[in-house]
Amino acid sequence: MKMPLNPVARKNELVIQEMQDEILVFDVKSNKAHCLNQTASAVWKYCDGTNSVLEIKRLLEVQTGSNISEDLVWFAIDQLNDRKLLETEFENKFAGQSRRDVLKKIGLAAVVALPIVASITAPSAAMAAACSGTVTSCLGCAAGTPCDANGNGIIGMCMAGGLCVGD
Amino acid sequence: MENSNQKNVIGIEAFGVKIGIFCDDLELNKKICKLLPVLIPKNFSFSENAEHEHIFTLKKIENSDEIFVARNEEDETGFTSEDSLLDYLGSRIRVTVAEFAKSKVFIHAGAVAWNDVGIIIPGKSYSGKTTLVSELIKLGAEYYSDEYAVLDENGFLHPYPKMLSMRGIINDWDQVDTEPEKFGAAIGSKKIPVGMVLITKYVENGKWRPKILMPGEGILEVLQHTIPIRSNPDFVLNVLKKAFTRAIIASSKRGAAHKFAPFLLEYLQTALK
Repeated sequence: MKMPLNPVARKNELVIQEMQDEILVFDVKSNKAHCLNQTASAVWKYCDGTNSVLEIKRLLEVQTGSNISEDLVWFAIDQLNDRKLLETEFENKFAGQSRRDVLKKIGLAAVVALPIVASITAPSAAMAAACSGTVTSCLGCAAGTPCDANGNGIIGMCMAGGLCVGD
Repeated sequence: MENSNQKNVIGIEAFGVKIGIFCDDLELNKKICKLLPVLIPKNFSFSENAEHEHIFTLKKIENSDEIFVARNEEDETGFTSEDSLLDYLGSRIRVTVAEFAKSKVFIHAGAVAWNDVGIIIPGKSYSGKTTLVSELIKLGAEYYSDEYAVLDENGFLHPYPKMLSMRGIINDWDQVDTEPEKFGAAIGSKKIPVGMVLITKYVENGKWRPKILMPGEGILEVLQHTIPIRSNPDFVLNVLKKAFTRAIIASSKRGAAHKFAPFLLEYLQTALK
């Protein structure tokens, strides 16, 4: 496993909005939005380059007053890494294991909430206002409304009679 | 970008967004002028000397019925039907205003007020927003919008009382613009705090089993319907945080709107006590 440095939270080209128990992150480079729950937020904050994974685990234990497994921290690091929210790329600690097995392994031992990073790709303005039409059905939308022709983000246009015609 | 003090240019300003529409056909120009105040129900004015930030160009092709529309010289789209052309132009202008509105966040959503708090129902077209909004206003909720929930910099909801785009009048898909007053609606006139964000979709015989979301989770859901998220993410997240931290954010499927609407208002009343 490649672990050359302590994990460092990425700050460049991110819009960060701290909530009471969560952090919202918008990546202007990829147009992805992420919501870090309380545990993932704490791990991300401790990723300042001075703390190793073991040290982050200890800091979390102090913060929560509970025993925490190193795997739980790794589970957060893996998700942050997958979403490109770390400066240094880490190899996935749980590579080759099914998500179900990993969750089972960590979840059984975890007292604190599992770290979760939920993500979406932010739509373009036209897509955010688009009709949820498919190739054969653009029900409910005025002719001329942009629509999602194949459910994959391609902008088509609703035609009279309920057809979404894509590019 | 350009000045509208030219022939055959319609200059408009809406929510601080300056738009020019260039069209050589005078008859078509008249129709567009008539359509514009209906398209944008608030903060709209014709503007003769506006410096245009966005330009729509309509070009008629000689010896052809086809008319092409482009925004800022991109995405040129051709139409042979004038009605389709006007629908398309209207839709593009509305999205442009929603994307670049100054100091406002536009969310593709239905919105009503109940007991002085706003209910926002985000969703794509045909997710049942308009049907639910019409049922809520029949029960006395004030109408704010069936297309965009408009939030100001402090997270307050403002009225955007576009006519209701109802289906099922001509057929299942074509929309007919219907005045909200026909449903006995009072139109909202003031800014109000958001009391509830309802993330829901109609499912036949769907049961309302709400999951209450954390504000961040709720914002992530709503970002999928937030028009300026890519162009102004900092402002959007800041506004949504202010609006959503004081609101109930509930997610659940639901059944028929006429059965669900009274249940929802009762639920909100109890939850806000």
